[in-house]
Amino acid sequence: MKTRLIIMLALVFAGLTGFISSCKDSTANPAGAAGAKQKTGVLLVNHGSRSATWRQALLDLEASAKDSILAGGDVHGVKTAFMEYNEPSIATRLKEFDAEGCTDVIIVPVFLTVSPHSFDDIPTIIGQKEDPQSMEVLKIEKIERYTPKAKTHITPLLDFTDIVQKNILRRVKAISKDTANEGLVMIAYGDETYTKEWSALLNGVGEYVKANAGINAHAHGWCGHIAHYNPDSTTVAINRVLSKKPKAIVVPVLVAHDEMFQVKIIGDGINKIENVAEKITYKPDAILPDPNVTNWVINISREYVMKVQNRTAQK
Amino acid sequence: MKNIRSLNVAAHRDFGYFFSSLIIVYCLSGIALNHVNDWNPDFIITKENVSLGKTYTKEQVTREVILGFGKKVGETNFKVFDFPTNNQVKIYYDNASLHLNLESGTGVYENVSRRPVFYQANVIHRNSLNGWKWASDIFALMLIAINITGLFILKGKYGLKGRGKWLIAAGTVPPLVAILLMEFL
Repeated sequence: MKTRLIIMLALVFAGLTGFISSCKDSTANPAGAAGAKQKTGVLLVNHGSRSATWRQALLDLEASAKDSILAGGDVHGVKTAFMEYNEPSIATRLKEFDAEGCTDVIIVPVFLTVSPHSFDDIPTIIGQKEDPQSMEVLKIEKIERYTPKAKTHITPLLDFTDIVQKNILRRVKAISKDTANEGLVMIAYGDETYTKEWSALLNGVGEYVKANAGINAHAHGWCGHIAHYNPDSTTVAINRVLSKKPKAIVVPVLVAHDEMFQVKIIGDGINKIENVAEKITYKPDAILPDPNVTNWVINISREYVMKVQNRTAQK
Repeated sequence: MKNIRSLNVAAHRDFGYFFSSLIIVYCLSGIALNHVNDWNPDFIITKENVSLGKTYTKEQVTREVILGFGKKVGETNFKVFDFPTNNQVKIYYDNASLHLNLESGTGVYENVSRRPVFYQANVIHRNSLNGWKWASDIFALMLIAINITGLFILKGKYGLKGRGKWLIAAGTVPPLVAILLMEFL
């Protein structure tokens, strides 16, 4: 009896030997590398996704911007980091820049507009802030926090420019067949804390499309956490447009293509519409690839490199 | 045959005893996470509406003004403050934050604490501990073992060959119906 018990316990514990305790916070030295020769890295930070297609689009963005950022010799290296789900994480990349002796890292968040990810999570990960909720969530999601030796500088987000407006206009024009009878439906990730800002961004885009393409009805819906990843918000937004126009063009206002969002959530929301083939024009594309986004990454990186250099020169 | 049967009973009983606490942890956490859209299973977030009594512009917000905002919610110091937009400011404290709309002079003070028991259970359930996925894999395999050994405990009309086979068949109905509904509706 005792032998059997011992054998069973041994079986159970055999697999537990590799168990390591939970995530640990970084213990960084924020002092920086004062006095050392300036060496600047550029880190393109994105949300991260389980979709390989999504991740590749962000890696392609880095590839398209890299040579131009490195030209001139002011930047030591350009890397991409995924905030969630995937390696290389932000912490991994910052450790690499530290190991390479960088004194400054310019962080370019490839995010549409303000959200707790861009405003709280990224600064908390890199040690600029200590948002209590972010710290707890990062711990649960096993996202490592790391305060680099290099000084970090976060650039503004994509909505700082008119890139999103131009991007949506181009994509709408590419699939529009009958502007007088069409309305525009934009589906974005959305955010509970900054709903007003997200709505303002999409309303601005809708008005821009109205002024430049003549499609004078628009509505928007959410597909992210705020909508519980439920397709109903898409359906509601489409029906709002269909109450004014016979046809709707549905455009995902998402950074890159993720099957879960463009196909499953938005696709399911579209499929709930009656006579979908007649009424809906939909292309499950994304903001990327877009040469304007590439140029924005190049320009904002250069701008911040100069700012850092000027600040150092003034000191 | 008798030896195999007694080994089966012993395995079912002892694995059952050993994993009983973990089964409860996973069940509790499963219920909590099932309702993730209705409540926050990990944290208790208390929110308090704050009125500043007047409006501000971004330029008026200095360190002293930030300290004054903090006094309204009982905070005597702050870690850092930042502006998410030109008309908003967020102030960070230990385990709390104050998010204010400067234009309306209103905001929300938010305090975060871990939900006792559920937080810890969810950490286990979600494999938020490094290496725990191997433990949960073993746990899953052991649940299969407990299930299979349980099928062969009794003989006769209460055993697998008796009412057991009918109850197993009945138990497959709910998931089958759910899958069929998902596929064809």
